[in-house]
Amino acid sequence: MIQFKNVSKIYYSTQDPVVALADVSFQITKGEFVSIVGKSGAGKTTLIKLLIGEEKPTSGEILFKGKNVTEMSPREIQSLRRKIGVIYQDYKLLPGKTVRENVEYIMQIIGAKDKDILRDVPQVLEIVGLADRQSSFPQELSGGEKQRLAIARALCHRPEVIVADEPTGNLDLYNTFEIVNLLKKIHQFGTTVILATHNKEVIDSLEERVITLDQGKIIHDQKKGKFIL
Amino acid sequence: MFTNLKRILKFGWQSFVRNKGLSFQVIFIMIVAVLTVTSLFLLQEISSFLISEIQKKVDIAVYFKKDVDESQILEVKKALSEFSDKIESIDYISKNKAQEIFLQKHKKDPLYLQALEEIGENPFLASLNIKAKSPNFYANISDFLVRGPFQDIIEKVSYYESEKVINRLFSLTEEVKTIGIGLSIIVGILVLLITFNTVKLTIFAFRDEITTMKLVGASNWFIRGPFLVQSLFYGIFGVLIADLILFTTLYFFNSRLERWLLNFDLLSFFQENLLFLILIQLGFTLFLGIVSTTLAVRKYLKV
Repeated sequence: MIQFKNVSKIYYSTQDPVVALADVSFQITKGEFVSIVGKSGAGKTTLIKLLIGEEKPTSGEILFKGKNVTEMSPREIQSLRRKIGVIYQDYKLLPGKTVRENVEYIMQIIGAKDKDILRDVPQVLEIVGLADRQSSFPQELSGGEKQRLAIARALCHRPEVIVADEPTGNLDLYNTFEIVNLLKKIHQFGTTVILATHNKEVIDSLEERVITLDQGKIIHDQKKGKFIL
Repeated sequence: MFTNLKRILKFGWQSFVRNKGLSFQVIFIMIVAVLTVTSLFLLQEISSFLISEIQKKVDIAVYFKKDVDESQILEVKKALSEFSDKIESIDYISKNKAQEIFLQKHKKDPLYLQALEEIGENPFLASLNIKAKSPNFYANISDFLVRGPFQDIIEKVSYYESEKVINRLFSLTEEVKTIGIGLSIIVGILVLLITFNTVKLTIFAFRDEITTMKLVGASNWFIRGPFLVQSLFYGIFGVLIADLILFTTLYFFNSRLERWLLNFDLLSFFQENLLFLILIQLGFTLFLGIVSTTLAVRKYLKV
């Protein structure tokens, strides 16, 4: 489903070039739960940005369902992003919209009918435990609630892949495992999940495939991996 | 298509209402822009009116020698028809009519009446009062009269006595027009730049939101649309409030203004042209809003 072929990403600045990813190759099949592990600056976020076409690789190919992401037109990128639900570390919620509207927005951009939105959005908010915060604005939510809203937004339109970039980075232990359980539940429904994190407890509890990145290179790729950094 | 349009309109209105502070700022700038442009338009009208009023008051008089017959004078009047494209009107004032006008003008002034009585006869000369279509035609007409076939029967032409005033008036009206156009261009550019920058700053406040919308797969039109709708509301409210301010000001100060502006009824002019003004103002603000919003949003859509 997703294939990275010899992907490198170098950021050029006024000082020395920064190698974010160096000749990275791996493949993710449909329905997998893959954790991407690495210290801060290992290249996890860059990898996600490349996958959704937010940035272009310096070299190599990224294939999504056989199609090269780097060669996609803006319209194809738009369609790709609708197939991948991303949970961002900084949430990236829409501050001018309420909890409910933030979720509705995703369904509205894919052209869902009003009756489907009315049926699905309350269900999704129920799943993430935000049913009673529907009319609140993101700035009125706690960190855990914001993260759950980001998850609701990422899964409401039933994307083929869910990518979570450090979704537990700003959360306490209780909220962290609540989020992880939600991701497990989504995976059980058949969605491919990619989780980028540096949280040892989370990785060790999952017992799923782990790709370990260090200084932009893959140093381990284990089927039922553990946090080894 | 219709569902998307409905959603875009809803998002635009929502953002307009929820971001009251920002909306107020942009509407305020729009009001200033509309008031400035409308005032320039009204000033242009007022100056044209005043110039034509002043020009109407300028004429030249051709005085004929004492012994000249009325038929000869009417012949001159006929001859002047070759200047018909330059002359607005020619009035013949006979000796008796001139005396009548004098008596009427000074009926409360015994000194003048006594002086006239002492002379014992009608001392006034018959004349032709000529009103040209433009002050710069007077020189030509006067030259024709003084140097042409009628020079022997003409006593004097008043143009040469007021030539300086007429020329000054002519150059002044030209200056007023040039300054008016120059000022309108400068103020117009200023208003455009200020409004554009205000809209740009408003969109800047939404830059993260635009990036997020783009990252979750929204199309450019789905993102741009609500901002355009918002700019429509800024324009509509700006025009309505500006016209309300103008109407109220004119309503209360019109009588005073009328006195200063040689009876030019600005309030009636404003009311008669309101529909046309609103259309121009809406066109102006919508153009401003749409162009500046499109340019400002485009910058953040490149994600």
